Amino acid sequence: MSTLLDVRDVSKSFGGNAVVNHVSLSVEDGSSLGLVGSNGAGKTTLFRLIAGELAVDSGDILFQGRTLPPRADDRARIGIARTFQIVELFGGQTVLDHLLVALQAHQRRQGPWRDLVHGGRTTPEERAACMEILSVVGLDDRAQAPASTLPLGERRAVELARALVCGPRLLLADEPSSGLDGGETAQLISIINRVRRETGLAIVVVDHDLATVEALADHVVAMDAGSVIAHGTFAEVTTNVDVMRSWLGVTP
Amino acid sequence: MSNFLSYTLQSVPWGCTFALVAVGLVLTYRATGVFNFGFGAEAYAAGVIYTELFDHGVNRVWAAVIVVCVVAPVFGAVLEAGLFSRIPVGNTTAKMVTALGVMVVLPSIVQLFPGTGNLQAPFAPFFAPVIPIFQVGSFFINGIELTTVLATMVTLLLLMALLYSKRFGLPMRAAVESPKLLELTGVNSRSVLRSSWMVATMLAGLAGVLFAPVETPVTPTNYSIILVAAIAAAAVGALRSLPLAVVGGVALGMVQGVVQGYIPQTSVWYSALVPSLPFFCLLVLLLVHPGMRTLDQSSDPMMAVEPPPPTPALAQRPPHINRLIHRFRWILAATFALIVITFSPGPWIAALTIGGAYSVIFLSITLITGLAGQLSLAQAAFAGIGAATTAQLTINQHVPALVAAVAGAIVAGGGGWVASLPALRLRGLPVTLLTLCLALLADNLLFPTSWIGGGANGLTVPRPHIFGIDFSDVDSKSFLLLVLAVVLAVSGVVHVLLRGTTGRALAAVHASPVGAASSGVAVRRLTMFVFFLSAAIAGIGGALFAMSFLQESPSDFSWFWGPTFLVIVVTVGATTVEGAIEAGFGYALIAQALTYLPSTGSSSSNAVQSAVTVLVLSFGAFTYASHPEGIVEAAKRGIATTVLRAVPANPFERVGRKNS
Amino acid sequence: MSVLELTDVHAGYGPYKALTGVTLSVQSGDAVALLGSNGVGKSTLVRVASGLVPTSQGQVCVLGRDIRGESVHALARRGVVHLPEGVGLFGDLSIEENLLLRLRRVPAPTRRRRLAEALEALGPLGSRRRTKARLLSGGQQRLVAVTGALAAQPTLLLADEPALGLSPAAADEVYAALERVRSTDTTLIIVETRLGRVENLCDRAVVLSSGRVAYDGPTSGAQDVLTGLIQRQPE
Ligand SMILES: Nc1ncnc2c1ncn2[C@@H]1O[C@H](COP(=O)(O)OP(=O)(O)OP(=O)(O)O)[C@@H](O)[C@H]1O
Ligand SMILES: [Mg+2]
Repeated sequence: MSTLLDVRDVSKSFGGNAVVNHVSLSVEDGSSLGLVGSNGAGKTTLFRLIAGELAVDSGDILFQGRTLPPRADDRARIGIARTFQIVELFGGQTVLDHLLVALQAHQRRQGPWRDLVHGGRTTPEERAACMEILSVVGLDDRAQAPASTLPLGERRAVELARALVCGPRLLLADEPSSGLDGGETAQLISIINRVRRETGLAIVVVDHDLATVEALADHVVAMDAGSVIAHGTFAEVTTNVDVMRSWLGVTP
Repeated sequence: MSNFLSYTLQSVPWGCTFALVAVGLVLTYRATGVFNFGFGAEAYAAGVIYTELFDHGVNRVWAAVIVVCVVAPVFGAVLEAGLFSRIPVGNTTAKMVTALGVMVVLPSIVQLFPGTGNLQAPFAPFFAPVIPIFQVGSFFINGIELTTVLATMVTLLLLMALLYSKRFGLPMRAAVESPKLLELTGVNSRSVLRSSWMVATMLAGLAGVLFAPVETPVTPTNYSIILVAAIAAAAVGALRSLPLAVVGGVALGMVQGVVQGYIPQTSVWYSALVPSLPFFCLLVLLLVHPGMRTLDQSSDPMMAVEPPPPTPALAQRPPHINRLIHRFRWILAATFALIVITFSPGPWIAALTIGGAYSVIFLSITLITGLAGQLSLAQAAFAGIGAATTAQLTINQHVPALVAAVAGAIVAGGGGWVASLPALRLRGLPVTLLTLCLALLADNLLFPTSWIGGGANGLTVPRPHIFGIDFSDVDSKSFLLLVLAVVLAVSGVVHVLLRGTTGRALAAVHASPVGAASSGVAVRRLTMFVFFLSAAIAGIGGALFAMSFLQESPSDFSWFWGPTFLVIVVTVGATTVEGAIEAGFGYALIAQALTYLPSTGSSSSNAVQSAVTVLVLSFGAFTYASHPEGIVEAAKRGIATTVLRAVPANPFERVGRKNS
Repeated sequence: MSVLELTDVHAGYGPYKALTGVTLSVQSGDAVALLGSNGVGKSTLVRVASGLVPTSQGQVCVLGRDIRGESVHALARRGVVHLPEGVGLFGDLSIEENLLLRLRRVPAPTRRRRLAEALEALGPLGSRRRTKARLLSGGQQRLVAVTGALAAQPTLLLADEPALGLSPAAADEVYAALERVRSTDTTLIIVETRLGRVENLCDRAVVLSSGRVAYDGPTSGAQDVLTGLIQRQPE
């Protein structure tokens, strides 16, 4: 196994506030990492740095051994996919359109050139590829529904499908279970684990639900106030004194 | 040195005029969430009413009080109740279009009243006429100036107290973001928003009354000049800070005073540079001010409680109606066009030709607004650049007209590409302001220059000469056919982009920039391309427009047409190709029809005619909130539904089955 | 006294019907957990109670008065505090201003004291009182919203997933605060997807299923109903 993502001593501050403070962590190809920590620990900010939404102040982020291109869309095209803490969908577009946008962007078959030369129509192969992913996340009967009209659980599934449709190497999932009920969470976990088994996808998952983290992550890193305070297996991290105090709120 | 001092000091009152309007803009923006492009128009209306009251024998002070304290707030309440309260909170585009609608329509309405063309304002309300009151060093301050300075300072203090107060200001600022959430804290947000609008229009009224005596006669143009300068002043505080807006306004006035003082009035620079100074300031501020990036970012946290917005007509039209239209539209359109072209008398042929040229320009708006969701106020300027390039190349380089037109499109496209560069970092309002800036700069610097736009008289533009056909008759039918062919080609391109991968990707970017980027959509490349293509199409339209008059005149492309065109297209429908074409021909044909009205031959009746045309087409800007797809498109949906009810089954389906 | 009375309430958004005949009565001092999977109408029910969503049929009485025709703000002034789903903050206002909006109707000296208490309760966040809410992390925003709702000292608190996005530690603190509120005579209606969180706080649970009440009784009995509902769901 080789190192897929290597975050080296990365820092980011806003107005003098160190929000991510000399963080280092690495993700092996095909492995899964849980990222936990109190509210405002800097987990989402770290995701934004990795995905290219924000630029690092100092430090390096390597992906497959190389430095990443600066812009988010380029990073997405080389295999870093992401879902959001508060879902970011394309307004009233249909579920299928969400996937088509991502797929065509990934294959660089998107834009005026294609439209003018090929008439801009969707090919049957593209449609088939999208429908296949939709059936994986259990949304095949929703392909033509406008995404904004779906319940939260299905909106999260659309986001997941959109992230998976281009066959990423790394998925950054920010609180995937937040707002989901027990049944939906169980389903989500089984989808992600199945995709990981089949494609060897590596994931980093942020969540506050212990059961979700345990079910999804082989390895866990805990953060507090911008710094990494513990790492190890789920059991090790959740019994760490600092983690118990800052994240779990139990005094040992 | 003493010269310098007196130049700066002398222009403080002038700067205060900017400051006052700037403060009004900032307050409106912060308390209502609307960047009020209509502010200048409202001030103009107030100035007119003030003057009319005075002419009817009302005392100056009373006239001012009536305008500022009665007419203006009532108008504000009407605006809020009739227009802005109907727009969903998060829809910044609808807010901007509606404000632009006020900007375009209100002066037209005022000018429909006889005698408003040439008003001379009375003196300022509170002090004696232009008699010096104060002496500061070597120069004097007169009553008008003193009033302006005092009014600005008092207004600033009052508004700061208002906006930052916990009792009134806090709910005002909260209501902008989410009226629903504010209701949950026990505040009546409707009445908060209504009061905000009343205060905001009172400021416009005050500005109008104070400004009327400075710049006589009272014309809409004078007020829009002030508006733009005030936008630059407000940009100093990133459109959000009241004190910085005042600082910006006064500073701008001073800079203008100094420049005016040192550059000799006979110099070419004087006429070009001095008026464009505010635009340069605004441009620079838009590009470098870090506060601009965070504008237009808030979204209503209570969005989920609102019912989903209406779907565009195309999606709602039942599929078999779509198929019906699809199957026969070419035949129908061609037949119709043939009949019309064969039987139309000369002037109508000319009108149709112009309509075609308008359609092309309007299609460029469909592209940038309907596709990329960006409101551009510079499309008329791009058209002007296309026309000017064509004219220069054909006259001076003897390039064939069609080749010159293509070159014009490319030059205009280059302009669009330049505009896209800042648009990569900004979105929403600042980009719209940027296009406004570009249009104004083109208007003030490019078009009046003899080797570009040809100056006030413009340039002659020959028509093409291909295949031995001469197109040069004013009402040449063959030229009309040529124009129609271009319209057809351009609409084909725009249609394919709208419905293809580009349209889908750009809609995604518009709805969620982060989401789109995280899916790999090449936001920068697409944005640059759309800006380029849209400007290039406008350039072609401009060239055709000039050719159809055999003449390029800069006034046809003056900056004010930018917002006017935008409002017209959005009204008729900016999300479909048909919308732009209907708008283009509609505009030209209504204008032609109005020439049959009894005319007195005076210039004011011309003004009335163009006012009516604009009015007819742009009233729908106010329906934009409920019909983002445009009223004509909405009407079609209505008809389609009615037809559907009358014809329950799909007859064609049955025919098809029988045959097989 | 009855704080909330719903009789055969139907409500929804446009053509979509979220509630189809809900009847429910909540007495003063009750703490009711509103349970059920996503999309069964829990949020709609509390929105109906705070006047945000109008009913198409049925009657809603809040604090002994029919709310038909009553505006949302009038209801809020009668002591109904609704902590909405999602973030529930004004992103462009600072933490302090967001809290002050909740305390608007409190007389000045008391307001100052309660503001200080609320900032205190926010812990380290309290020292960033001038930060715009939009710049906070998701969980921090939720924490500020919950603190504001509690500071308003409601008669009826409608809390829609108060602990959404909070770390286990912060969620525990929020529920401890709700526990304290319960010992005053505030009536609580708490929307939750996880029964475990509300078991201690609420003695009564209402389970919704596709727009109707599927269970109404002691919290201890809700688990069976919930499992039953999940199993019946077609996969
Ligand atoms: N643009 C910004 N400007 C200033 N501060 C910011 C900005 N973005 C984030 N922060 C601060 O950085 C800290 C970390 O935020 P982040 O969203 O990464 O937290 P998090 O770990 O994801 O928390 P949560 O679990 O609540 O989602 C917070 O204190 C937040 O206020
Ligand atoms: Mg987070």
